Amino acid sequence: MKPLLARAARILLTLALVGAAGLMGWQLWRYYMESPWTRDGRVRADIIGIAPDVSGFVAEVLVADNAVVARGQPLLRLDQARFALALQQAEAVVASRAATLERARRDERRYDRLTEGVVSIQRQDQAHSEAATAAAALQEAEAQRDLARLNLERTEIRAPVDGTITNLTLRPGAYVAAGSAVMALVDAGSLHVQGYFEETKLGRIHPGDPARVVLMGDARPLSGRVESIAGGIADREQAGGLVANVNPTFSWVRLAQRVPVRIALEEIPEGMRLIPGRTATVTVMPGGVAPSLLRP
Amino acid sequence: MIAEIDLYGIYLPALLVWAALALPAFALLRALLRRAGLYRLVWHPPLFDLALYILTLGGVAALTESLLS
Repeated sequence: MKPLLARAARILLTLALVGAAGLMGWQLWRYYMESPWTRDGRVRADIIGIAPDVSGFVAEVLVADNAVVARGQPLLRLDQARFALALQQAEAVVASRAATLERARRDERRYDRLTEGVVSIQRQDQAHSEAATAAAALQEAEAQRDLARLNLERTEIRAPVDGTITNLTLRPGAYVAAGSAVMALVDAGSLHVQGYFEETKLGRIHPGDPARVVLMGDARPLSGRVESIAGGIADREQAGGLVANVNPTFSWVRLAQRVPVRIALEEIPEGMRLIPGRTATVTVMPGGVAPSLLRP
Repeated sequence: MIAEIDLYGIYLPALLVWAALALPAFALLRALLRRAGLYRLVWHPPLFDLALYILTLGGVAALTESLLS
């Protein structure tokens, strides 16, 4: 009887420990594998390509590389000579057209005063139409002058938003073409964190959930909020051409893909360098509750 | 949540580091239990060892989580 009892006690002790280990293992798995967190996060911001509206030589670069600029601050000036001349030319055309209009109006008044019989109706009509044409021509010239003035103003390129100039290699003397970006401006107002979450974790993430962001190399946590979840990611099987190119080796192992989740940052501690591209660890707290190892 | 551990610029997932830390702790615990004679009361020692290791790992993880985060 005694050996049997001892044996039962030994089995029970072992099984109790195995049971406890099972619970612990399950909890560890849940915490590390299933709760919505990711080490694959990035700081992001919208980058504006600053492009001149007119072509020309760069006369002055008014900012340094990596400078913090305010909205409306001048960034660079193009050589103005050509545009100043164009404005002069347009102003001269306006003056000439104005003179033409004045003469046409005077002629019109003269013909109007003459009575029928002295001048033909056809000639009177002609005077009216000449005056109208001259008025229209003046308007055209004025529009051309305004355009020349606008071009002249646009030789000074200003910052469209608050932000940081980055990777500036432009030097005076370079020729820049209208519409092609010559410097990058990181929009400070658009800084956010993008967390790439496995699709298996998406069910636990909802817009509005609080999130905790830790940048690589900086222990201070940032608080944020899930703003939105990406509307789509690429389907690699459909990437090229008109027909699907399906990967044939997909029998056993499949990896969860990752979907970008946009995290809006609530406040940024003083001195924290939020540089777009930095790596971040993002933990989402569904319903405001952080994942915990101890809570089931 | 402690997500990763910086080891001279190599960022390892925390669970891996805890698993490595749990190994010596587990070895120590097993030696102590063996000396105390507990293994006479164990039905299947390797199974018991596995369970003990998982419990140690959980303990290390819980301890570091509560101490460091």
